[in-house]
Amino acid sequence: MERRSTRGHGQKGRRRAMRKFRMLAIPVVIVMIAAACSKKAEDTTDSGQAANKGTVNVLNALEPEENAVLQGIADAQINGKVDYEVTFEQSGDFEQQVQIRAEGGTLDVILLPQPGAVQAQAAGGKAVSLEDMGFDMGALEDTFGSYFLSLGEYNGKHYGIPTNINLKSMVWYPKDDFDKAGYTVPTTWDEMIALSDKIKADGGTPWCVGFESESATGWPATDWMEDIMLATAGTETYTKWIKHEIPFNDPAVQHAGELFGDVMFAPGYVLGGADQTPAIAFGDAPGPMFQDPPGCWLHRQASFITAFFPKDAEAGVDYDWFPFPAIDQQGTLFAGELAVAFSNRPEVKDFLEKFMSVDVQCAMGSEPGSSRISPNVNVGPECYPNPILAGASEVLTKALAGEGAAGFDASDQMPPEVGSGSFWTEMMTYMQDGPDSLPTVLQKIEDSWPAS
Amino acid sequence: MSTDDAPGAAGAIEEPPPTAPQTVLMSVLRVLGALAIPVVGFGVLALTFNYLKNADANRFLVVGVAIVVGVGGVFFLYWGMNRVVEFLPDRYHEGVRPFIFVGPALVILAVFLIYPVINTILVSLKDSLGEKFVGLDNYKFVFSDESMLRSIRNTFGWIVIVPALGVSIGLAFATLADRLRRGEAFAKSMIFLPMAISFAGASIVWKLIYSFRPQGFGSNIGLLNGIMIGLGQNPVSWLDQQPWNNLLLMVIMVWMQTGFAMVVLSAAIKSIPDEILEAARIDGANELQVFRRIIVPTILPTIAVVTTYMVINAMKVFDIVFVMGSPETRGTEVIAERMIHWFFIANNDGRGAAIAVVLFVAVIPVMLFNIRRFREEEAIR
Repeated sequence: MERRSTRGHGQKGRRRAMRKFRMLAIPVVIVMIAAACSKKAEDTTDSGQAANKGTVNVLNALEPEENAVLQGIADAQINGKVDYEVTFEQSGDFEQQVQIRAEGGTLDVILLPQPGAVQAQAAGGKAVSLEDMGFDMGALEDTFGSYFLSLGEYNGKHYGIPTNINLKSMVWYPKDDFDKAGYTVPTTWDEMIALSDKIKADGGTPWCVGFESESATGWPATDWMEDIMLATAGTETYTKWIKHEIPFNDPAVQHAGELFGDVMFAPGYVLGGADQTPAIAFGDAPGPMFQDPPGCWLHRQASFITAFFPKDAEAGVDYDWFPFPAIDQQGTLFAGELAVAFSNRPEVKDFLEKFMSVDVQCAMGSEPGSSRISPNVNVGPECYPNPILAGASEVLTKALAGEGAAGFDASDQMPPEVGSGSFWTEMMTYMQDGPDSLPTVLQKIEDSWPAS
Repeated sequence: MSTDDAPGAAGAIEEPPPTAPQTVLMSVLRVLGALAIPVVGFGVLALTFNYLKNADANRFLVVGVAIVVGVGGVFFLYWGMNRVVEFLPDRYHEGVRPFIFVGPALVILAVFLIYPVINTILVSLKDSLGEKFVGLDNYKFVFSDESMLRSIRNTFGWIVIVPALGVSIGLAFATLADRLRRGEAFAKSMIFLPMAISFAGASIVWKLIYSFRPQGFGSNIGLLNGIMIGLGQNPVSWLDQQPWNNLLLMVIMVWMQTGFAMVVLSAAIKSIPDEILEAARIDGANELQVFRRIIVPTILPTIAVVTTYMVINAMKVFDIVFVMGSPETRGTEVIAERMIHWFFIANNDGRGAAIAVVLFVAVIPVMLFNIRRFREEEAIR
């Protein structure tokens, strides 16, 4: 109330104060604009320069041990000789991390085990093509073979440099006990079934199988299916299967599924029973093979599995392997890894070139902690002191040369909805529900195939 | 407020009612005023960020300067804008001024809340790469895919069972601990302890408790299977027992959140005046009647708060299901876990967004309930 009576005076006072502040406000605004402009000016000069940030990070989903081996190779062969530092970063939640860091722009190179994912990253627009980085594509094809390189192709440009190849068509067995028991290595499917029956008759359990793999549970089962598909239907049908030119419940796939079931559901064939396999970690699965007497005698898994074998197990003595046996023909299933660049900086290109050179790759072959096989065709078997890797390397070279039915891991090339989704999970349903569920399971995978 | 009202109100009396152009000008000024601070603020922030990114200055110095300039700058911006408004003719002062102060909040809300919601809805109508519109296909998928339907069923189970168990156990503990002569603090700390562990950490702990190895794959190291073997039973693959494995996962969240419920409810119980309880007892009520007729009704608002909190938490659960592994094979999917799966593992933005929208819509009733209850409480005051 009192205020109202003195309103006139109050307003005059405010006007006077305002005039005083007007003098202040103008310089303040000018200072703000000037500050903004000067920062902008500095900015443009900065971004004009070539940016060798001095670091290359390589994000991967490898086992920590393998990541450490790669870091060791990089430290010994690359870091210190160049003006940048290479860091291999292992992530258990690789898929999520790539997405997040690609969006955030803090990614240089990733190692992708799935060609489909390479194409997805290329489609995502964050990956840099090898052409754009200035690679000589002819030289790359000579180094890796055009087939492997073509797996990372998207819209006519290549996005993936092969960094690793591994043989999947391998069946492991405890060599010393195996020889002692008088078993012989089977070369055909029928021989393998006969061997399984013999082991069972002798009171043993032939197979160790485990499919659990956290958020990727089920993938080892897809390898079984692919091996059998290659050995029965051959490369052509196999490729049609991948490209969905035949339905997923095609008789050829049905036949492969039945043969797979013949092993999994035969009573007494699988340690723990087929319905337990989704709960057994794939890395733990071969464990019983090294017990005395062996808890199981056969284990089908890719070459990397030796990393999960007991530390004191000796290759060629405690264990050995034979190629997944021929059914209608010999099949060779392999997988690999492709490096995809996410930033086009000179040191990233230089790193990729150095890392894939014969010298570095051959040095990696003699690394005791590594089971990597180089996709560089100039790296010969003599680079692998480990006879297992040398043998696998030879099989792979032959397969890439066109002998028998060779194929890159199918699930890795199918759309993620299938290859990293329904194919994994429905195979687990098959394991849990038994042989009769096969038609339903295949129909469900077929239904989940995204319309293109 | 009243001091600010005075000149404005006076201005309205002294001057004629505003003409149409004046009204338009007023609206324009209001919009400008509302946008000025956020635009200048974000602009300066972006420039500073770019500058700092490239500078090789001492990090601590940079952080120090950033805090001082950041906090001071915001104050300065508001103060400056307030001054700028005073240059306007009198009749606009009080109409524009509030917008300068409310504006930034509205803009930030729009940029970080409303825009993402609209964008998510748009993405949910597009294909896996977010390129083509596919209509309601993604929603059809959400409500027809077996795994999605299971996730909706499971999430429903989570939001009913977890709060029910958590609140009732918490309430029981709070009531009983209140009666302890000694060791109340200790007992409560023990129950509250799991609250300090992250969801992922707790899941790892429980993964070991539920651990199972089939015969031939080594000895069982899990606590539960240890007990089973001790009792002469066969070990059980706990996490593969559908649908009970869902319950086993819910137990983890109950274990973690009961402590929270207990602490909050205990505080509410302690604030009930002793006179009321004594009066009830003198009137011949037994302890159960005191609990049911006095304690529970008195702390009902607190129970509602705790329940809402736990419902929202249960609705968002992801970590536990993800860490325990193989959700699809085990049938333990939940909505948030499916969302992450489709967004990041299957790389299907459309489906991920559709699931996000469903989750968002599902949270709305809980929020409405919360707001209504909040209003009722305000009305009582």
